[in-house]
Amino acid sequence: MNAIKTDIVVLGAGPGGYAAAFYAADKGKKVILIEKETRLGGVCLNWGCIPSKALLHASHLIKDARESEIRGITFGEAKINLDKMRAWKESIIEKLAGGIRGLAARRNVEVITGRGYFEDSRTLRVETSEGQKFIQYEKAIIATGSKAALPSAFDLGNPRIMTSTEALDIRDIPEKLLIVGGGYIGMELGTVYSILGSKIVMVEALPAILAGADPDLARPVIKFAEENFQEIRTGTKVKSMSTHKKNIKVVMTLANGEQKEEFYDKVLVCVGRVPNCEDLGLENTKVKTNEKGFIIANEKQQTDDSMICAIGDVVGGALLAHKATREARIAVEVITGENSSFKDVIIPAVVFTDPELAWCGLTEQEARAKNIPIEVVRFPWSASGRALTFDRPDGVTKLIIEPETERILGVGICGRGAGELIAEGAVAIEMGATVTDLAQTVHPHPTLSETLMESAEMFFGHATHAYARSKRKTPEEVHA
Amino acid sequence: MDIRVPRLGEGAESGSVINILVKEGDKVQKDQTLIELENEKAIAPIPSTEAGVITKILVKVGDKISVGQPIVSLSQDGAAAAPQAEKSQASSPAPSGAPQQSPSPAAPSYSAAQAPASYGAPYQYQSAGGFAPPASPTVRKMAVDLGIDLTRVKGSEGGGRISMNDLKAYILYLQGVAFSGQPAAGIQAPKAAAPLADFSKWGPISKKPVSPLRKKIAEKMHESWSTIPHVTQNDEVDITDLMAASKHYAPAYEAHNVRLTLTAIVLKACVQALKKYPQFNSSYDEAAGEIVVKEYYHIGVAVDTEQGLIVPVLRDVDKKSLLEISRELGDLAEKTRQRKVSADDLRGGTFTVSNLGGIGGTHFTPIINKPEVAILGVSRGSYRAVVRDKKIEQRLIMPISVSYDHRVIDGADGARFTRELSTALESFPSAAMALDKDKGSKGAKTAAKAAESPKSKTNFKKSKVLVKGKR
Repeated sequence: MNAIKTDIVVLGAGPGGYAAAFYAADKGKKVILIEKETRLGGVCLNWGCIPSKALLHASHLIKDARESEIRGITFGEAKINLDKMRAWKESIIEKLAGGIRGLAARRNVEVITGRGYFEDSRTLRVETSEGQKFIQYEKAIIATGSKAALPSAFDLGNPRIMTSTEALDIRDIPEKLLIVGGGYIGMELGTVYSILGSKIVMVEALPAILAGADPDLARPVIKFAEENFQEIRTGTKVKSMSTHKKNIKVVMTLANGEQKEEFYDKVLVCVGRVPNCEDLGLENTKVKTNEKGFIIANEKQQTDDSMICAIGDVVGGALLAHKATREARIAVEVITGENSSFKDVIIPAVVFTDPELAWCGLTEQEARAKNIPIEVVRFPWSASGRALTFDRPDGVTKLIIEPETERILGVGICGRGAGELIAEGAVAIEMGATVTDLAQTVHPHPTLSETLMESAEMFFGHATHAYARSKRKTPEEVHA
Repeated sequence: MDIRVPRLGEGAESGSVINILVKEGDKVQKDQTLIELENEKAIAPIPSTEAGVITKILVKVGDKISVGQPIVSLSQDGAAAAPQAEKSQASSPAPSGAPQQSPSPAAPSYSAAQAPASYGAPYQYQSAGGFAPPASPTVRKMAVDLGIDLTRVKGSEGGGRISMNDLKAYILYLQGVAFSGQPAAGIQAPKAAAPLADFSKWGPISKKPVSPLRKKIAEKMHESWSTIPHVTQNDEVDITDLMAASKHYAPAYEAHNVRLTLTAIVLKACVQALKKYPQFNSSYDEAAGEIVVKEYYHIGVAVDTEQGLIVPVLRDVDKKSLLEISRELGDLAEKTRQRKVSADDLRGGTFTVSNLGGIGGTHFTPIINKPEVAILGVSRGSYRAVVRDKKIEQRLIMPISVSYDHRVIDGADGARFTRELSTALESFPSAAMALDKDKGSKGAKTAAKAAESPKSKTNFKKSKVLVKGKR
């Protein structure tokens, strides 16, 4: 056995893995990056964030065109060429994946395409098209990510039952589409397919869709779904699915206990994601997994095996690319002897629906559940000139504030562009900013970013474009 | 609802229940005193924060209770009281539910004006929601790299945010502590007191527990004595004329039911010397590397009580007349002896006077009342044979001792200040003693009369000095 020796091996080239590999290389380490797919970028780039945002952009265009009549602009009905749309989407992915490969090459990160398998705590075997390769490393970083869960009861081997991966491939536009799961993935894909013309029924076992978000923030999104989906059924459980000619027969139990049997052209299952832990040879190492199968890692991203770190979806928590990227930095810094940890790190969440929904830090429902004293201010976008210029007053910006110190603990935004706007909230929280800091920072007019400033002003009862009873005195008033 | 022990003030986290003034079933008003709590320096009445009927008393006399602990359970009948209670519950920031109303509200743990931070007492950041203290990622990263616990660092910015300067100040403070050999605030000295011999082997003994006050005195004295390099400058003051004048004016004060004491006059003289040497009216902020000079003159006066030494503070001595000072001094001393002084009465001093003249002795070494930098000790005056103008005269001589912090004050200034103080007393203007109605023509006459007094033969000469002193 002629093993390749390296300082660090990274298993998985998603936004966690390639970030870890590049950062370690930038810090002067010899790095090998292993990826089973020929195209780098992981789920985020290939079957997640990027393709879904491309498709959402295309569908927004259709929707905006349809709604432009009131602006005195009339288009004909959109003609959709799915092959072309798919090719355009693929071209974006190709460009980005090529970019990652280029960046790896310039950093002298060796990329090996193949499946990695731990022989022991110091050795990784890689199955490549050219046969087995053995890598002896000082440290390994597992960044194998997650995949869409498909419960075995639904796994009929029928392509009409899709997960997000297949749905993003957008082979056709089913007339009747059932979406199982009202989380962010189901909502985003539901938005795309409903605008493209599918009649959508969404079922969710929980009593509400988008259950993780504060209900007041989720309301405009739910309103969109109510108007554009055929039906939303909460508290509903799918009992079974079976192939019935060219349809899928679905039996479900409604919230009132009633059984319902329906036929759908396609079913999209979005009931969560499972970690990619199997067939990694973890049993040959000291790495441990939890009851849900995620790798157990501490806040320094260290596993129970001192040679191995783990980052990203495979360790659980928020299954988000930007969380993985931060964890990548922590893992590399810990390996190179720095004192870093994933502690008190704010991870913003964005749901790319129509309108978008984004939050960071403490949410109102979390504060209520934990009995944390807070004050909340909400600025309605109906008072934002910018929102009215594109006919979207259905937004809200809200701040969660620590009453004693007036420190900003959480920010939530619903509205078009919320995903971009939330970054300011993340900076504010990370900087320990107070409401005064936000209120006294001049925001450009006319922009949606003003809603953050004005919601801060509302806290003091001073918002220019909204009237609210004075809640607080500003520091100047107190000292006056 | 429960009424809890409010925040009592700086450094006073607990106390012993010495008196319960209510019983179960009593109807109490808001602000009515429920119990009396003895802490290190004072007896604090703890008022009810709400009106209602006491359903249960949760403490008994002798209990040692601390901030946030429930004292009594209150039932609130009537709609008028209820919403207020709710409001106070809802807006209560601390998870302990400590009522916001307190007899002596302590400064909040963070304030925008609190810069730079100093660490006289241990600091611990607390967040009702369990959040880490606010600080930018840069500051947090530096803290992690240096192994600094940010919950120990006082933030000077809005919302208690810790700036890079706050972190630096804390590190300087830690470094100062490391090199001074003193334990940091909040860190107990590891050295345990050596066990004492069994004294009963040699004869009968009795034991009594150390009172909270005695313990506080012991801690405070030890801290001051071991952290401040003390120098004591002695001097002698000729108070013959001063005492003659004060004797003359005393009846006028008595008419106001006020006793004109030497201590009151000494306080006035101290202001003159402190104004001339402002470094004696300062504090040394090691952490910030600054000397904080105070532009107010709040002078502490050591009072001997049955339980031990207490130092109440007389405010704005420079702005008050001798009559006001004398009156307040009498009241304050009386209040202190009865242990009725509030925590606020004990705070904010800039200089301290300890007058042991009533007991006797010559010079002594007073210990500086930290964070002040100087203290005056006054001993008993006595008649001595003094050579003046080549003649031996009988003069009343009072020994004084000024202890000062040699880190802040140099020896020459120590001597100059002490001399200034002596001169201020020796040439104390009798006009300053005169009461309003005595001023004017009558005042002048009485002064002249004092000068003609046959008791002091050199008064004529001295009155010239008096005139000089008035400038």
